[in-house]
Amino acid sequence: MTLLRSTRTPTWRRFLPLLVILGLVALVVWRMLYLGSVGERFNAGFFLRAFIDSVKLGSLYALIALGYTMVYGIIRLINFAHGEVFMVGAFTTYFLFTITPYALPAAIVMAIILTFGLMRVVELFRGSMRDPIVLGVGAIGVVVLTVALSAFTWPFWAAIVGSMLATGVLGLSIDRVAYVPLRSAPRNSLLITSIAVSFFLQNVGLLAFTNRQTPFRPDTPLTTPLAFEVGGAPVLTNWLLVAIPVVTLVLVIALTSFVTRTRLGKAMRASAQDAEVAQMMGVSVNKVIATTFLLGSMLAAAGGAMWGLNFGSLNQPAIMGILPGIKAFAAAVIGGIGSLPGAVIGAMIIGFSENFLTALFPRTPTFLGITEFKDTFAFVLLILVLLIRPSGIVGEDLSEKV
Amino acid sequence: MARIVTPTAFDAIDPKKRVRNVALTFLAVGVGVLVLYLLEGIGSTKLVQALALLAIWGVATVSLNLINGTLGILSLGHHGFMLIGGYTTGLLMLDEAARQRILTSARSTMTEETLALSVSNLLRGFGLEALTTPETLWVRFLIAIFLGGLLAAFAGLLVGTPSLRLRGDYLAIVTFGFGEIIRLTASTRLFSAYTNGALGFPGVTSEFGKSIWWTFGALAFTVFVISKLKYSSYGRAMQAIREDEIAAQAMGVNVAYHKVLGFVISAFFAGVAGGLWVSWLGGVRLDFFLFQLTFFFLVAISAGGTGSITGVLLGTAVVVFVRQYGDPLEESYSIQTWLYIASATLALAAAGAVLFRTLRRLRPRLHWGSWVLVGGAAAAALVAAVDPAVIEGTFRGFGMRAIFLSVLLIVIMVFRPDGMLGRTEFSWSWFLREQRTGPTDEERTQDAWLSNPAFGSEAGRAAAREQELAEDDTDAPEGSDDEGRR
Amino acid sequence: MAMLEVERLRKSFGGLTATNDVGFHVDQGEIVSIIGPNGAGKSTVFNLITGVYRPDAGDVRFEGTSIVGKSTNQVVDLGIARTFQNLRLFTNLTVLENVLISQHHRLRSNWLSAVFRTPSYRRQERAMREVATEKLGFFGPRLQSFRLHQPVYVLSYANRRRTEMARAMATGAKLLLLDEPSAGMNPKETSEITQIIRRMRDEGGYTIVVVEHKMNLVGEISDRVIVLDYGQKIAEGAYRDVVNDPKVIEAYLGKKAGDDKREELADG
Repeated sequence: MTLLRSTRTPTWRRFLPLLVILGLVALVVWRMLYLGSVGERFNAGFFLRAFIDSVKLGSLYALIALGYTMVYGIIRLINFAHGEVFMVGAFTTYFLFTITPYALPAAIVMAIILTFGLMRVVELFRGSMRDPIVLGVGAIGVVVLTVALSAFTWPFWAAIVGSMLATGVLGLSIDRVAYVPLRSAPRNSLLITSIAVSFFLQNVGLLAFTNRQTPFRPDTPLTTPLAFEVGGAPVLTNWLLVAIPVVTLVLVIALTSFVTRTRLGKAMRASAQDAEVAQMMGVSVNKVIATTFLLGSMLAAAGGAMWGLNFGSLNQPAIMGILPGIKAFAAAVIGGIGSLPGAVIGAMIIGFSENFLTALFPRTPTFLGITEFKDTFAFVLLILVLLIRPSGIVGEDLSEKV
Repeated sequence: MARIVTPTAFDAIDPKKRVRNVALTFLAVGVGVLVLYLLEGIGSTKLVQALALLAIWGVATVSLNLINGTLGILSLGHHGFMLIGGYTTGLLMLDEAARQRILTSARSTMTEETLALSVSNLLRGFGLEALTTPETLWVRFLIAIFLGGLLAAFAGLLVGTPSLRLRGDYLAIVTFGFGEIIRLTASTRLFSAYTNGALGFPGVTSEFGKSIWWTFGALAFTVFVISKLKYSSYGRAMQAIREDEIAAQAMGVNVAYHKVLGFVISAFFAGVAGGLWVSWLGGVRLDFFLFQLTFFFLVAISAGGTGSITGVLLGTAVVVFVRQYGDPLEESYSIQTWLYIASATLALAAAGAVLFRTLRRLRPRLHWGSWVLVGGAAAAALVAAVDPAVIEGTFRGFGMRAIFLSVLLIVIMVFRPDGMLGRTEFSWSWFLREQRTGPTDEERTQDAWLSNPAFGSEAGRAAAREQELAEDDTDAPEGSDDEGRR
Repeated sequence: MAMLEVERLRKSFGGLTATNDVGFHVDQGEIVSIIGPNGAGKSTVFNLITGVYRPDAGDVRFEGTSIVGKSTNQVVDLGIARTFQNLRLFTNLTVLENVLISQHHRLRSNWLSAVFRTPSYRRQERAMREVATEKLGFFGPRLQSFRLHQPVYVLSYANRRRTEMARAMATGAKLLLLDEPSAGMNPKETSEITQIIRRMRDEGGYTIVVVEHKMNLVGEISDRVIVLDYGQKIAEGAYRDVVNDPKVIEAYLGKKAGDDKREELADG
């Protein structure tokens, strides 16, 4: 029984995202005016701070959500382990900028592992491990990385790039070890496996990194304070206000152009439409999936690094990835899972609701505030979206399938 | 093809064998009771506790498997149901001294009214003073457990309802979300009068949770109900939903009712397990009910085999064993020892890979991955042996058990997704190797004859006479079902 | 009075109209075939009758009462059962279990009495087994004895089709909707299915609606044939009349070829 798909989209559906967002904005404005008339504290600066936090948080969620959405778009797997990949990315950055240079033997081992990963990455584009370029990258990579790891203290930007590479390789390996053998298995088995991978990474993180909260204060000009006044109210923030959205934007644009312009990106989109047919047309679906994991993990690592920068500390590994992961997944679902712009829009919605809910319903003498329900809210939102509109608010026609 | 005939509860068993099976069952139960009695007498406290935990988690896994295995819905919210049952039982069974302590404690968020909630007060309200004595504690415990189960079942109703709209992984996420919502809201001020916020409360009687008899009694009851349900018409309908929801509905099965029924029954027993678990721990705290609990159950179910209750219990035994006896893994050893352990593990993994590829006749037998493992093992051993000075210090394997269980789960999912037992259920005829594994010769010939002539038609029979043995549509084993298609 | 009456049934998916004002009736004890080229809306009609889809307009009446808006399992309760074009058996369950499941909706014990195996439950269970054996008996001994306890995935394609028909019969339905019962079967098996469908009507007392592509099967069994094309009924009547209808030939073979092929089709 094949259900015939609707070929036309009803008009109301095309305007739905707009309506939802307008409705939310109207609610927020109304509540802001009300609060402003009630208390001295709730001035323009108060809400501007919430706005800035929302944009930053939304951008971070977007980076994680893209990984969820790409993987789901292609192999229909809710990658439970993605939140933990994000955690590993954050901690790798931390270890790259705090305790470099390493002792030579450790540096050599790490360089070998990383170079092997690097070769795998280049191989995705070149097609064979024996390709001269892949081998060249391997040879140069070992030397350069060994020197880099054992001779210098890494600056923050280099730590982010290195962490993205290492985490990308981790994503590749997770796919190879845990998901490739299950390509033809029922989807529930795949989901269970991803839960197992997630637990594995949590506990390995506990074992290998630390078991307590870690301060994350790299030496970078981005965290220098930035103070200005809005309507007479002081707002104290830092340059991350600009840096996080800009980095996110650059990465999203790079990803989008990769997906639309390159051969491999087009293969990705083809596989998202129908992996079987794509395979018959000569697309190596395994390679496409590996690329997906690579890109998703790299974005998550960038997100992790900036997460640490934003909050000034990393939570302990066992719990750091869970809530951001779930919220980013909710974002991906809200935006319409499988769609890249949808993930960004969804992440912004989550980021804004999280900050504005707590700002709009703050603790007042008569009301205790809703801060303690902040995390519950993400789950409630996720369940509501899944129940009411599993295809997300962006819907099918606006979205571009990966 | 391993086994073609699967056992069902409706296998025609001849009466003599049925009598024998009943006798054997009684005998086995008797032996089991005796063994438990002996173990309780001579076993260490740790062993008795491990056994009790096995039974408690057995209740949880068997009930979880009603949703995951029989109904075919991946449910990830079992810890939420257990939390409800656990907190209810805990609050209702809190002893008087503990109540006084909490009432006078400055950090407590519980009120006098909520602390007055107890089975004793309930019974007093009904005028049953006789049941509030210390000797009748077990009656109160049973009532508390039952009420906990009922509340959890109600939560199961709430969680089960979305299952009517959703399928597959989205539904799994929704159950996970519900489980987490239950856990997160339990500590907020909405419920902190009942749960004492994140602090929880100690002082729940552990007389029952740590007793082999109570826990195994609960397990026996659970296994009885769930297995009878699974092998009844209702269980068949649930399995039909697992196999093909649309077809089940088209055959008259009320899919909505059966799904919700499965959730409610499963949640009830989860609540019972939660009550026993709280009693085993002797108190209630939020972090007794983390998602990790559901993960352990998932490992148990997948390791044993979702198709079989026996398998689930076997898997639970593995998980409980690792949890209770795996603590040497988490102790502090010198890094040299750890390197040797790592080396040995890698070498074993490599050997396992070679063995696996040999058994499955995969070529090349020595995959490059095995070489990587061997290389890693050699490197670790080399470092440990040659240069102990560099690697002085000790290292605590914190979280090793969880790592072990997650690796176990990945390995099972990759290499044996059906679990240890698959769909094989324990039965006496299986145990005594009486199970038929295929048609007899007589049936084979009958079958060959049948499939030759076009059944019932004179013309067909004539045609068949000409090409007597040329064709047959003898049922082919799995994988070759395309033959009959055009 | 007609057993099943379908009136001006309309269903469209987005811009595509799958059935447009289809109307027909089926009398008690009849075998009616619905034929038509691919995509003519045959399966959609089945889905509309059994409540898988809800029609946009029109009415379906079974024994006088409207069944529009009822869910699939309620339709089965009333007495309409179906098979599927591409087999939807419960593959990991045994043949017997498959046929028992379709009788589950007639069970009159709640789940607690099923758990405790009350005498009334045991009696019903035995009755269900008897019905199952009887319905499987329609296909000769080939689905009985040891095969009762074989999981469906080891069965041959033809046996799966047979099991599915037995399963539909066991629901206790009076009206059976068979969606391409002979798909994937060789000529020998097809002729056997033809006999079986006859016997299902004659001995089992079922009223049968068949969607089929194989013309010789349709010709042999049908009391009446309904032809659909592009969601519309273009002809109805006895097989001989229908296949000679120029509109039907045009639908199947196109306008030009129609004249040449007319005779061939009539013989086929």
